[in-house]
Amino acid sequence: MTEQNLAGQAAVGQAAAGPVDATAEIPAAVGPWRRSWNVIRHVQMRRFALRTRVLLMFGFGALFLSAFLAAAAHSFTRNNVVNQRDRTGVEAAYRDAQVAQNELGGNASSAEAAVERLRSLGVQRFVINYRGTWSASSAKFTSDVIPPELQQRAITESTPSRMISYVDGDPWLIVGVPLTVADATYFEFVPMSDVQDTLSSVLRSLVFAGIITTIGGAMLGVFAASRAVRPLGDAAQAAKAIAGGRLDTRLEPTDDPDLRVLANSFNDMAAALQTRVERDARFASDVSHELRSPLMTLAASIEVMKARRDELPERAQAALDLLVADVARFQGLVEDLLEISRFDAGAIRLNLEDLLVAEFVRQAVAVSSMPDTPVDVSERAERVVIRGDRRRLARVVANLIDNARLHGGGDAVVTVVEPEGEGEPLGHVWITVEDHGPGVPTEERELVFERFARGAVAGRRSTSDGAGLGLSLVDEHVRSHGGRVFVEDRLDGEPGARFVLELPADEVGV
Amino acid sequence: MGTRILSVEDDERIRTAVKLALEDEGWTVDEAGSGEEAIDLFHRSAPDVVLIDIMLPGIDGFELCRTLRRHSDVPIVMVTARNDTHDVVAGLEAGADDYLTKPFAPKELSARIRALLRRIRPISPGHAKLVFGDLEIVPDEGKVTRGGSELHLTKTEFRLLCELAQNPGRVFSRESLLDKVWGYDYFGDGRLVDVHVRRLRTKVEADPANPRHVVTVRGLGYRLQS
Repeated sequence: MTEQNLAGQAAVGQAAAGPVDATAEIPAAVGPWRRSWNVIRHVQMRRFALRTRVLLMFGFGALFLSAFLAAAAHSFTRNNVVNQRDRTGVEAAYRDAQVAQNELGGNASSAEAAVERLRSLGVQRFVINYRGTWSASSAKFTSDVIPPELQQRAITESTPSRMISYVDGDPWLIVGVPLTVADATYFEFVPMSDVQDTLSSVLRSLVFAGIITTIGGAMLGVFAASRAVRPLGDAAQAAKAIAGGRLDTRLEPTDDPDLRVLANSFNDMAAALQTRVERDARFASDVSHELRSPLMTLAASIEVMKARRDELPERAQAALDLLVADVARFQGLVEDLLEISRFDAGAIRLNLEDLLVAEFVRQAVAVSSMPDTPVDVSERAERVVIRGDRRRLARVVANLIDNARLHGGGDAVVTVVEPEGEGEPLGHVWITVEDHGPGVPTEERELVFERFARGAVAGRRSTSDGAGLGLSLVDEHVRSHGGRVFVEDRLDGEPGARFVLELPADEVGV
Repeated sequence: MGTRILSVEDDERIRTAVKLALEDEGWTVDEAGSGEEAIDLFHRSAPDVVLIDIMLPGIDGFELCRTLRRHSDVPIVMVTARNDTHDVVAGLEAGADDYLTKPFAPKELSARIRALLRRIRPISPGHAKLVFGDLEIVPDEGKVTRGGSELHLTKTEFRLLCELAQNPGRVFSRESLLDKVWGYDYFGDGRLVDVHVRRLRTKVEADPANPRHVVTVRGLGYRLQS
């Protein structure tokens, strides 16, 4: 409810004063609200995922923007509509007041004539105060519904005034015009309820539009967030691929200047990593290749000397035996190093074929360093086929037998069994090598498969031969075949280790 | 004089050591330090087997192999520093009969040479001539003709063809061919067979891409048919 003084006197057509101020509903108290927003930002937002943060920011942004625009639009509309009505209402009231003044001008005893005159002109809602007596046009619009302040100002102070007031719940603009004839004031009621209706429907539309905008903003936020986060997902995926060994993985080049920085530095990092890994792998490979030439000379020369061993003095024979043994070890080490460097470079290409596991193991043992090692094959395992690289798996068996020879008391038993019980479908086959050495303590059972496993493991297990690469190569080879290797105690409780190779296998039809 | 081996190796210490070891095995060894020297010596001494290191200065081992192959079917053993598929297959494609990876035991080399020099198994009497469509094999004379014109096979290709011809229609696994032709045990390299079959096809087949005689039986091996 607003009141305003009318600027002009009772001149007809005098423009009314400024618009009725209806914008006071928007609170000016932004300060505390912003402070709490900052608190939310700093405390709460950090706990949300980036995606949620972007979504919330867009949602709130749209909400505030639409609320602001709605408020502005509402206030603008209201001012316009109310102003318009205000002006026409005031004009009409002045015109009607002029009529009443003319009627009362002949020093009338009462205002009845004026009321009649106005009624006849079609003016419906007005009240005239003439010498302290009220004359109303209808029972509803009487002096009772005119606010006392307005009466005070229009009658007592003789100031033309207007005010919005509610009559039976409906808003009315009440214009009070003091008449220049002695002691008379004219009040006219201008309906404002249709203006109110218009404004409410505008407000409803604006609120609805605001809700839509907020939802739209939130959806835009979801979209923007997923777009903003997508490069991160790509980068994460690429990083995972690189960690998984695919070193040539790169991020797609992009035109976005912000993302280009990320993509470029990521790709630079990946390239540097790839170069370094490849250089390391190539170095190991080059070293092993370079070592092959002197080894060739050694191998050939040693063979010449071996053929003449009997001609040598006893001490020279002993020295030759040492030379022979260590050249063989050296050779094995170079081969293992080369194979490991192939693994590291990801350059292992398995030559896969179907192998009857029992036949394969017997052959592999026959060419190993202990060809007389007994091979026990269970009845069912005789019909088991594995898919593998014949020469690499033979290397695995040979390395396990070497291990038994060097660290396992020098004799071993190889068994080929199925881990599954009778009647169960067969998915794996176990190739085990049991020795009579000191066994492997529980805490070292993973360590023995490490490269050049040293320290306590090697110190106790080895005499002159280091643990070397043999078992780590076993591990790599078996894993490249989709199997695993582990070591445990002998099943019969005697001291000694039992190495188990588990390989995926199939049973062939009988 | 016994069997002559021409050893081509640029590293003098390796060459000397290998020569010593091979002479212990009873072979006569001629040495060449480069491909050019080897070609010259090859024509003068007519070796029974040539041993070629792939990494040679000047003419490399592959090129030397191809050059020798142009006018000789002498058995060639390649020596590679790496047993990567690329080097091995390239060497075999260039015409080598077998390969060894450094460092090898000279005894192993001797075994390989002996296998390469082995005579073909005698074919059952009454089968002096084997006919497979347009292909005719006369094992005793070491002669193969297709459509009447004589084909030039290396000794190893000929032995491979004869092995397959011993039992026409039967499938020979790679392992059995490795054993019979190259004298390898269970762990021989199947690529030897595959590359030799490929080379054999370019000679005996009218269309090597669609072989009619030397047929691959997937997962099992090879078979000879008419």
